[in-house]
Amino acid sequence: MSLDRRAFLKTSAVLGGAAGLGLPVMARAFTADGVRPPASRPETGAAQPKPLRILILGGTGFIGPYQVQYALDRKHQVTLFNRGQTNKALFPNVPRLIGDRNTAGGHDALKRGTWDVVIDNPTRNPAWVRGAGEALKGRVGQYVFVSTISVFSDYSKPGMDEQGPLHTPGAPAVWASNDGANYGPNKVQCEIDATAQFGEDKVTIVRPGLIVGPGDLSDRFSYWPVRIDKGGEILAPGTPSDPVQYVDVHDLSEWIVRCGENHTLGTFNATGPKAPTNIAEMLYGIKAVTTSDARFTFVPAEFLREQQVRAWSEMPVWQPAMGPTLGFMQVNCQKAYAAGLTFRPLADTAKATLDWYKSRPAAEQEKARAGIAPEKEQAVLAAWHAKAGR
Amino acid sequence: MKILVLGGTGYIGPHLVSHAIARGHSVTLFNRGRTRPGLFPEAEQLLGDRNAPDGHAALAGRSWDVVFDLPTTNPQWVVNAAAVLKGNVAQYVYVSSTAAYKDFTRSFPDETHPTQDPAPLDGPDAASAPYGNKKVRCEQLVQAAFGSGATIVRPGLIVGPGDLTDRFTYWPVRIEKGGEILAPGQLDDPAQWIDVRDLTEWMVRLAEQRTGGVFNAVGPRTVCGIGELLYGIKACYANDAQFTWVPQAFLAAQKVRSWAEMPVWSYTGASTVAFCTSVIEKALAAGLTFRPLATTVRDAMTWYHARPAAEQERLRAGMSAEREREVLAAWHAQRRGGS
Repeated sequence: MSLDRRAFLKTSAVLGGAAGLGLPVMARAFTADGVRPPASRPETGAAQPKPLRILILGGTGFIGPYQVQYALDRKHQVTLFNRGQTNKALFPNVPRLIGDRNTAGGHDALKRGTWDVVIDNPTRNPAWVRGAGEALKGRVGQYVFVSTISVFSDYSKPGMDEQGPLHTPGAPAVWASNDGANYGPNKVQCEIDATAQFGEDKVTIVRPGLIVGPGDLSDRFSYWPVRIDKGGEILAPGTPSDPVQYVDVHDLSEWIVRCGENHTLGTFNATGPKAPTNIAEMLYGIKAVTTSDARFTFVPAEFLREQQVRAWSEMPVWQPAMGPTLGFMQVNCQKAYAAGLTFRPLADTAKATLDWYKSRPAAEQEKARAGIAPEKEQAVLAAWHAKAGR
Repeated sequence: MKILVLGGTGYIGPHLVSHAIARGHSVTLFNRGRTRPGLFPEAEQLLGDRNAPDGHAALAGRSWDVVFDLPTTNPQWVVNAAAVLKGNVAQYVYVSSTAAYKDFTRSFPDETHPTQDPAPLDGPDAASAPYGNKKVRCEQLVQAAFGSGATIVRPGLIVGPGDLTDRFTYWPVRIEKGGEILAPGQLDDPAQWIDVRDLTEWMVRLAEQRTGGVFNAVGPRTVCGIGELLYGIKACYANDAQFTWVPQAFLAAQKVRSWAEMPVWSYTGASTVAFCTSVIEKALAAGLTFRPLATTVRDAMTWYHARPAAEQERLRAGMSAEREREVLAAWHAQRRGGS
């Protein structure tokens, strides 16, 4: 095995949104009144849709605000349900139901009202799905559960579709656990409970890969725009043709709302880009929005392993294209593409991410949560040049 | 500053003039008055045909801080302009070319790299002398007349809005179409270009700072490969574009012409290598800066899509769709046969 299995599980377990990291979830990409700078939107071909009553569970974290904004732009009636603690000032004109899903009766606020669509964003504890299901019973047209591609137990095969092997569902004893190793198994149980609670004819399961863009406090994708903008010689992982996948938070969130509009049901792997993309395309694509003097030195996976450079956490958006991670960045999302998942150009994602990152407080910028430390990067590059004799 | 622009209504001229005006300079245009007359109503217009015997008469008795000579390949034009302007302008900025260098097959020429032999000023071979040789003669005439006030700018491939050669444009147009794309050689094969705005804005700064000397003027800032260019362009699109990188030996066997059919790319050792491997440290030190590639691509394509449909369909550079398909098919056939 080319990669420590436990290390990989630990890193892969955090796919699917900031919830998986137990981060303080805030969306500084949005201002208090919910107005954000205009971003380009791919043509979706949809005319003005029929207004829907949409209930968003969570809705104030990373992906939620994008759904809210998009739904409001499309004239839907949006209601939020959350603890009322995160980003309280966000969307002041959107009705908010209050409840703490970890407490008994925490879903009581959901016992009134009917909804065309419920979108459940933050849930990794199957008890939350059950709580929502019991409270909303019979008054929901469609339940969209935001799962994760971390539900899969084996990434060794490229092109894995929605039928890929899943983790054994998490046992009740670990449902409340924040340990990354339980993330995928608990999400599997959540998916099962979603269907059990709401019925197969009402459920949409969305399994995103790495969600990127403004507001991503995990800094995983952001590492690259920030590092490239800084310039100089940059440690780049593997070979230029190693595959990568990611999905812009706008593209994912907007498609989820359209899944409601189109009553799209079923289970979907949801990452991008649509055309197979490699790490060199991503890195040079990001560089294209900067005026940086960045130069990439691609260092093979074997050498990175010798130097104890961790894929994914230290070299974000990348896993070795071999062995147990061969298929990790080659997940088949054709079903989602056929169901209308569209993509912005990488240049838009990179620029928006970089602009957002630079707008964050300096102290936050310095404490980036992902990516190799500058000193270690320089040491690895020096070791590589010494070995390569150049 | 008082600025005189010789030409000013072609490709790079309007970018230079509008930037100079935006910077608050007073601009006088000197040309035949035929190309886009009235483009800059705020600029003074002097008329003259530089091929005519007394063609530069309109410039006589006037003085400027700086003159930009943009369109000149004919050394006689420099002789005649200098005869009128010497003593009346402090700085003469001449737009030469990377083509001034001798032996294009050598990599990384800086400004001290040997240049072509200067073309003869008159005689039977004057008119038919190659472009590069004429540019060298022009450079030398400017330097002889204006000394330390001579600024020689040698751009490589100038790209962006208004580029009628379509060399750079081929790539964004092709990538925008999507599908399988023939990509030449290897990711690291050298590529250089310069956004017409970066070039002209820097030239105005050279004048503002009275910077004399000889400068290569291409980008980007660091050594760049064709892969960086194509991937950077792809980042501006979200389509199904996929590159198939075909080694140069196979392209050569298919008689694919670099530069013309595969723009911004050269075979190793070809006579266009110098277009892609110029050293620009001197220009960087003199303040040359660069837009992001994505900005160049998007502005170039906004301009391209505003062109008449017939022009959009008939690019002057790059490979036809049929020829690209044939080469790709041949490449895939060989790969299947050989593996």
